[in-house]
Amino acid sequence: MKKLTGARIVIEALIQENVEVIFGYPGGAVLPIYDELFKQKKIRHILVRHEQGAVHAAEGYARSTGKVGVVLVTSGPGATNTVTGLTDAMMDSIPVVCISGQVPTHMIGNDAFQEADIVGITRPCTKHNYLVKDVSKLGNCIHSAFYIAKNGRPGPVLVDIPKDIQTFETKYLGKKQMKSFSFYRPKIKPEISQIKKFVEYLTSAKKPIFYVGGGVINSGSKASILLKKLLKASQFPCTQTLMGLGAFPTSDKQSIGMLGMHGTYEANLAMHQSDLMICVGARFDDRITGKVSGFSPKSKKVHMDIDPSSFNKSVNADLLIQGDLTKILEMTLKIISEMKITFSKKKISNWWKQIEKWRSRDCLKYKKSSTIIKPQYALQRLDFLTKHLNPFITTEVGQHQMWAAQFLTFNKPKHWMTSGGLGTMGYGLPAAMGVQIAHPNELVIDVAGEASILMNIQEMSTIKQYRLPVKVFILNNHYMGMVRQWQELLHGNRLSESYMDSLPDFVKLAESFGATGLRVVKPSEVDDLIKEMIKIKGPVICDVVVDPKENCFPMIPSGSTHDKMLLGPNDKVEGEISEEGMVLV
Amino acid sequence: MNESNTKHILSIMVDNEPGVLARVVGLFSGRGYNIESLSVSEVDSDKFLSRVTIVTSGTKIIIDQIKAQLNKLIPVHNLIDISELNSFIGKELILIKLNVKKKSVSKIYEFIKKHGAEILFDNNGELIIEFSGTPSEISKMTTKLNKYNIIELTRSGLVSMALGTEYIKK
Repeated sequence: MKKLTGARIVIEALIQENVEVIFGYPGGAVLPIYDELFKQKKIRHILVRHEQGAVHAAEGYARSTGKVGVVLVTSGPGATNTVTGLTDAMMDSIPVVCISGQVPTHMIGNDAFQEADIVGITRPCTKHNYLVKDVSKLGNCIHSAFYIAKNGRPGPVLVDIPKDIQTFETKYLGKKQMKSFSFYRPKIKPEISQIKKFVEYLTSAKKPIFYVGGGVINSGSKASILLKKLLKASQFPCTQTLMGLGAFPTSDKQSIGMLGMHGTYEANLAMHQSDLMICVGARFDDRITGKVSGFSPKSKKVHMDIDPSSFNKSVNADLLIQGDLTKILEMTLKIISEMKITFSKKKISNWWKQIEKWRSRDCLKYKKSSTIIKPQYALQRLDFLTKHLNPFITTEVGQHQMWAAQFLTFNKPKHWMTSGGLGTMGYGLPAAMGVQIAHPNELVIDVAGEASILMNIQEMSTIKQYRLPVKVFILNNHYMGMVRQWQELLHGNRLSESYMDSLPDFVKLAESFGATGLRVVKPSEVDDLIKEMIKIKGPVICDVVVDPKENCFPMIPSGSTHDKMLLGPNDKVEGEISEEGMVLV
Repeated sequence: MNESNTKHILSIMVDNEPGVLARVVGLFSGRGYNIESLSVSEVDSDKFLSRVTIVTSGTKIIIDQIKAQLNKLIPVHNLIDISELNSFIGKELILIKLNVKKKSVSKIYEFIKKHGAEILFDNNGELIIEFSGTPSEISKMTTKLNKYNIIELTRSGLVSMALGTEYIKK
């Protein structure tokens, strides 16, 4: 068998993993790999403008396709720049493999030029990582990285390859020869006894609610189909987390909107008063639960997850079902049909009446204006005028993100990419780039704020280079809106450092990157702007100048429970917010 | 909810590879858990496996979370909570260096013999004593030797094993 260099093995291994695209940035310690990349035609390399952008792009690619996103960066600063992206992927369970160059093995520990202990640095923010010190183990490491990234609860894996290892030669045996993972075998198949118990719970519930998270989307398209079947059979209401939007069509009557800190009135109250909560691939995050001790006090809780460390972490559940959601839902439906179970609509009719009453409060309503654009209005129009195109939506982080979650329609999984766990400003633009690479002919929109967009604005250059028709829809309120909102509500309206001064002219900025820039300031102009944006074949930055004072409601102030929501600007935080609540983020 | 802290002895079988201890220890520090004692060494040189024993304490929720998080680490093959088993033994090793006046040496020898300890080195009253026992036996031993001039001492972490047929799988 012919011997190959380490660099060549990297490329061969990526090809065997069916990698089509990698996002990266070259540098001294990865030059041998870039050289091999140059000599082949199977893998396309997208040159980003900052390594953080590479990871977010890989995340966008992964989330919109279900494949593993791949990143290639150099040692030192190249590698440290990926840390935010890797942490983001870790928090949101996104499969990413990041290959980093490293100084040659004999220089490691020497404080060499562009040396950083990236394996040490990324240990807590990756699912696993490798420093390859022996070229004969390189192939195995890369295949293992892919296996680990996508199996079980997905996550990022980093492979650090010193430069000398990239030039050493060895025999490459291919993926089939890979050392099998005898010990890392996540539990996929649930216990049948648990499923039977779950079905029992289902049939006896009077106030049930499905609480659906991103795990459904991670489990694959089939999980969404099965979930829909179960929801249709049971006629139960369904609320979705920020990560779960699209797992069940949000336009369906059974969908009662997102839950949590900025969730709907009906979703949060239904959670609070339910007698059976079915958590499907979510993790009782603090944005969801609010004050844990007052979280849904009367419900029996069923928790389904592939990762047992999510069980009883913050909220104790009565029934734990470990396994892949596709398998869990499949077995549940099978048992329901085998046992010929029919769900009585009558049993839950009072519950639905109550939910409809809550729904009629129309908690997302806002004060309309004919002179100033309300951000909610802009998003409603965006939704109305693009819905038929099934757009892929990414967001940055802040008020605009919450409004997007509240006002856009998500009828399909894998069409909504947002930084949920880490809350990374600057996520949306590079993520949109990754989505557009995977879906060149689809409409991809980054709903942004004027503050977040500036955090990775350099990626406009990448967008220009690859002629990616990404649409950036900036809700420009001249503030870090969510920071301003908290300062207004919780810090005596002292707007410390949250005003965005010296903003660029976004129209000229767009033009300087070969994109089209559009600006609107009047509500009457919004429709035309959106229509024009869709019509334009290339990238567009829309600067939608919105009401700078608008706040995002409903809101559960930190440290409060679901039944203590603020529904609008006239609701005040009850009394002083507790000290306990003040320290929460 | 049971909020009281209890002590637990976790025995963990891991791949003996660079960084594995950093992963285990980093998990404790990163998530704010306690390590009361730690001992680790290779136990299978063919399969490159090391066995880690960690003594930690926390509420039930915390201990369950520690175990779940440890199990998520890729190089962790297996984990048992020895203190949750019916019966187990736990031993530590201590080395003590004493500087004793000549007239006391024979007394020390007698004491050592009585307690099943061993003298590893003796150079004109400069002694190194080895003793193994349960943590409380070791504490007792050091208290008793305190009246002599202890130059230095070192203690291994706890190593532990379940009695009977229960054992950690590789």
